[in-house]
Amino acid sequence: MAEIIPEEITITDFAVREHRSLWGDAWRRLISSNTARLGMFIVALFVLSATFAHYFWEYEPKKDLDYSLKLKPPTLVANEEVPSVHIFGTDKLGRDIFRRVVHGGWNSLRVGIVAVGISLFFGGLIGLFSGFYENINMTFMERLFLFGLTGLMMGVLAAWIAAQPFQTFLLAGLGVAAAYFDDFYKGKPLRMVIFAIAGAVIITIPALFVGSTVALICGGWGLITGALLSRPLEGRFFSNVMMRLMDIVLSFPGYLLAIAIVAFLGPGLEKGMIAIGIVGIPVYARLTRSAVLAVTQKEYILAAQSVGEAHGRIIFRHVTPNILSPVIVQTTMGLANAILSAAALGFLGLGAIPPEPEWGAMLGDSYRYLTSGAWWAVLFPGLAIMFSVLGFNLLGDGLRDALDPKLRT
Amino acid sequence: MNPILEIKNLKTRFFTTDGVVKAVNDVSYSMEDDEILGVVGESGCGKSVHALSIMQLVPDPPGKITNGEIFFEGRDLLKLSEKEMRTVRGRDIAMIFQDPMTSLNPVFTVGFQLVEALRLHNDITKGDARKRAGELLSLVGIPGAENRLNDYPHQFSGGMRQRAMIAMGLSCEPKLLIADEPTTALDVTIQAQIIDLVKRLQDELGMAIMWITHDLGVVAEMADHINVMYAGSIIETGKVRDIYKNTKHPYTMGLLGSLPRLNDPPGVELISIPGLPPDLIALPKACTFAARCSYRNEKCLAERPPLEKTEGSDHAVACWRWEEIAGTK
Repeated sequence: MAEIIPEEITITDFAVREHRSLWGDAWRRLISSNTARLGMFIVALFVLSATFAHYFWEYEPKKDLDYSLKLKPPTLVANEEVPSVHIFGTDKLGRDIFRRVVHGGWNSLRVGIVAVGISLFFGGLIGLFSGFYENINMTFMERLFLFGLTGLMMGVLAAWIAAQPFQTFLLAGLGVAAAYFDDFYKGKPLRMVIFAIAGAVIITIPALFVGSTVALICGGWGLITGALLSRPLEGRFFSNVMMRLMDIVLSFPGYLLAIAIVAFLGPGLEKGMIAIGIVGIPVYARLTRSAVLAVTQKEYILAAQSVGEAHGRIIFRHVTPNILSPVIVQTTMGLANAILSAAALGFLGLGAIPPEPEWGAMLGDSYRYLTSGAWWAVLFPGLAIMFSVLGFNLLGDGLRDALDPKLRT
Repeated sequence: MNPILEIKNLKTRFFTTDGVVKAVNDVSYSMEDDEILGVVGESGCGKSVHALSIMQLVPDPPGKITNGEIFFEGRDLLKLSEKEMRTVRGRDIAMIFQDPMTSLNPVFTVGFQLVEALRLHNDITKGDARKRAGELLSLVGIPGAENRLNDYPHQFSGGMRQRAMIAMGLSCEPKLLIADEPTTALDVTIQAQIIDLVKRLQDELGMAIMWITHDLGVVAEMADHINVMYAGSIIETGKVRDIYKNTKHPYTMGLLGSLPRLNDPPGVELISIPGLPPDLIALPKACTFAARCSYRNEKCLAERPPLEKTEGSDHAVACWRWEEIAGTK
């Protein structure tokens, strides 16, 4: 009989794979898609040309003026009529359109980054907090903070109407007070009455200096805010108030609201950026909140709590990285949107102030000459807008596919 | 010996739009500092919620602990602030969850998560924490532990992830480990390995373990005491031998009767308990099991039986007729 020699048993795990990180995987999928590569190429071209032009190709829009070169068609070789090369032609003031398009890119890039930055920062924070605390008990300090924030957000409207920015802080203070005096007539209607009156009074008094109608409207808003803040302290309440505020902002057509904000702040590229940024906040707030709601149901959040981690740490350490993929996609698409919005504001004369090169403003300046045959003055800035928006959209699409966890292999 | 955990009249409620869900009703028991307690019962009987109540991790809103005291080493956990509670979680009481697939954060490496848990309660450097994390992984039997620290959870198999979770639970050497159905999502061979592992670790590290499961076979193998829960209350409690050999409550009998046995002749049908557990929103005033019980009489339908000690010192049962039922067997 053959002797059976037991082989030495070693534990092998067949699930072992080559080491690949999450982001490495996504990158591989991104560069394997043709449309995403095209998008990346356009975006890279746009970003590099704008940056290099800004730093290495000086341009002073205020001094750029040459009536002798007014509305010349594109020339690739210098000739007698047009002594210098203008591959995109010149506009009504004889300025080189190529130069202005490239420098306009820098402005568009700035608008995109600043506007999306504003939307992302505020929208993201609102979404994170309102999503996270829906099902997680708040500690005392967190209550103070969140109720202050609620008051602050509610106060923006009153402050805007009365043109008194400090009113936001009055209502924020009321929110903190409501959280601090949690036991004050708890559960009784008197609590709501007291806080509503307090809200109305602190808002009406400074608003009276502006005018009686303003004081009435602001007082009413203060009354509502005070009544809301007197409610029991729950994360769900905070989330509700925030999302309803976002609904209010969303209910305005985006451009109209941006125009309204610019009208309030005054024209200028910087004001335009802020306006576009504010209009974008709700999109990010809702997106973040929905992603956070899904993540907080996961067991690793419970596990993180069960090893004794603090809420703030869980929000920024554990929740945030897990919601990044939809936010990254939205941010990329949002950049395209912001560029388009800035161009629209510029076209209407509410964005960049004239000699400043800006694609929308260039269109607005030149479309009148289209009938006299100067197609180049409109075509090239238009193409610049189109391609930059296309590039960001293609990249966003590619990112969405690359970051989709269902496609992970 | 002092009890490490003593729970008195714990009540946990979920305030939903449909009504108040009475998830845990007047649960009282105590645990010694080196025992393994098995908590068994069917889905939705309050096993997990009562464990989450101990950790104070019941989702709030809508959940709230409305009544009771939870003494851990003589301190009432319900009176601690959230900040003090955070130092208890992980350092004194650790918890392992049911689904190893989702209980590790997918965007961080296993090593990172272990190091984080270690550094939370111990004042040690990153390097030391990393070394300790490697030791923990090999303690729970992951081959090539040092090299696996840089792996992401999706590179681990289910059994390995559960081992990693156990390592994380043990990272700060807790005095009580609550294991909430840790083997339910695993297949039988891995389940056996995990059970052996936990038993070995308990011998080596000496801690109390609460093992929550609906698998009566698992607890029979490892537990010292068993709490049988039904509709949010403990209906029978006692030493493992008493529960299995000297079953008193008709529900426990039903549970044990519904287990397939190796020595059953082929073709024998499994017994199942008729009916469904009661709706926790509208709990009857009667014995919660009466509707499904073949031994019920008028008294069972009129009044809820308290948890009463039987002749054995530790064995208690919540049934009006346990003596009569014992006589008929």
